[in-house]
Amino acid sequence: MRLQIDERRCKGCNLCTLVCPYRIFKPGKRANRRGIVVPELDRPERCANCRLRHLYGRTLCGTCQMICPDQAISWKEDEEPVPKKVAIEY
Amino acid sequence: MSEEDWLRQDRLPHIFCAGCGNGTVINCTLSAVEQIGWKRQETVFVSGIGCSSRAPGYISTDSLHTTHGRALAFATGIKLANPQLNIVVFTGDGDLAAIGGNHFIHACRRNIDLTVVCLNNMIYGMTGGQGSPTTPMGGLSTTTPYGSGEPAFDLCGLATAAGANYVARWTSYHVRELTRAILTGLENPGFSFIESLVQCPTNYGRRNRFKQVADQIEYFKSHTILVEKAARMKEKGEMIPPEMILAGEFVRRNRPALGVRP
Ligand SMILES: Cc1ncc(C[n+]2csc(CCOP(=O)(O)OP(=O)(O)O)c2C)c(N)n1
Ligand code: SF4
Ligand code: SF4
Ligand code: SF4
Ligand SMILES: [Mg+2]
Repeated sequence: MRLQIDERRCKGCNLCTLVCPYRIFKPGKRANRRGIVVPELDRPERCANCRLRHLYGRTLCGTCQMICPDQAISWKEDEEPVPKKVAIEY
Repeated sequence: MSEEDWLRQDRLPHIFCAGCGNGTVINCTLSAVEQIGWKRQETVFVSGIGCSSRAPGYISTDSLHTTHGRALAFATGIKLANPQLNIVVFTGDGDLAAIGGNHFIHACRRNIDLTVVCLNNMIYGMTGGQGSPTTPMGGLSTTTPYGSGEPAFDLCGLATAAGANYVARWTSYHVRELTRAILTGLENPGFSFIESLVQCPTNYGRRNRFKQVADQIEYFKSHTILVEKAARMKEKGEMIPPEMILAGEFVRRNRPALGVRP
């Protein structure tokens, strides 16, 4: 699982930086195209939900997602590499 | 299904200001309706007017965005017309306790089977920051520029006295506890009242020493005291500072209720 912030929804309130026990969210430094300073993720692979969700079969922690007033935090499945047939031309 | 399915994604981002606590309470409420397993087709969200009352507009069920103060009157109508429906009301402190105060006490008295989530930001947010019946003593607003001189309404105390079956209070910092309280409210037959204090950085926070959104959240964190602990302190004759927010479950009981599914 990969933690992600939806830049189209985030309003840069920084509440996520307050609640993460691992301090994964850091206040951002640069405004994006919408003029919003979106937080940065510091080694998001440490997130409890990223590591353990599949093992336990439910959301673990999830506090950042619950407190985010703009529904901007979610997790994405890691993509399995898909084998592709490639025609090799000599 | 997940909470995301309950959102009208095409309507997001919502219009709430950056850091407004309303969005957090929407998350907690949707998590609770998801956990109880209600179907979207059988659930209706109702609200009055105010920033907080815009919440149903972002939720993918049938909803009524009614006139200011009248959410409970409309919700009562829906419940009596079709008791099969699950009804959740979002309401602001002004909507519920000022213009809608009488509907509130009578809905509690009738103990009608609704779950009411009050997003109490202690101010009229939408209209520019006028004082509300829950603005704390000394609180600054556009109508109380020298600090409110009136005591604030204790909404949970009011709901308890008027007869609601379930009454609880939390804040937008306490996301887990708030979600659990809303879930208990959904499960409990009769009138369930859950008050959540929320930050309104634009119209309350910046006038009242909370320069950053985080400051008010930190305040909620450090100024809440559990009902049980407050009761123990009272027993020992200890003083509870008046600015402390009592949080937790106030009542869970089984008075006869109206509109409960047969
Ligand atoms: C009958 C009527 N009176 C007054 C208003 C103006 N008005 C709109 S919202 C509002 C107060 C909202 O305060 P609250 O219910 O606390 O919601 P918030 O915006 O703080 O979430 C008022 C007085 C109105 N729309 N209709
Ligand atoms: S809590 Fe949500 S909206 Fe606020 S900064 Fe974090 S991701 Fe953005
Ligand atoms: S789910 Fe918990 S551990 Fe993971 S990023 Fe959010 S707050 Fe941090
Ligand atoms: S005015 Fe206050 S209550 Fe309304 S959206 Fe802005 S922060 Fe939220
Ligand atoms: Mg209000």
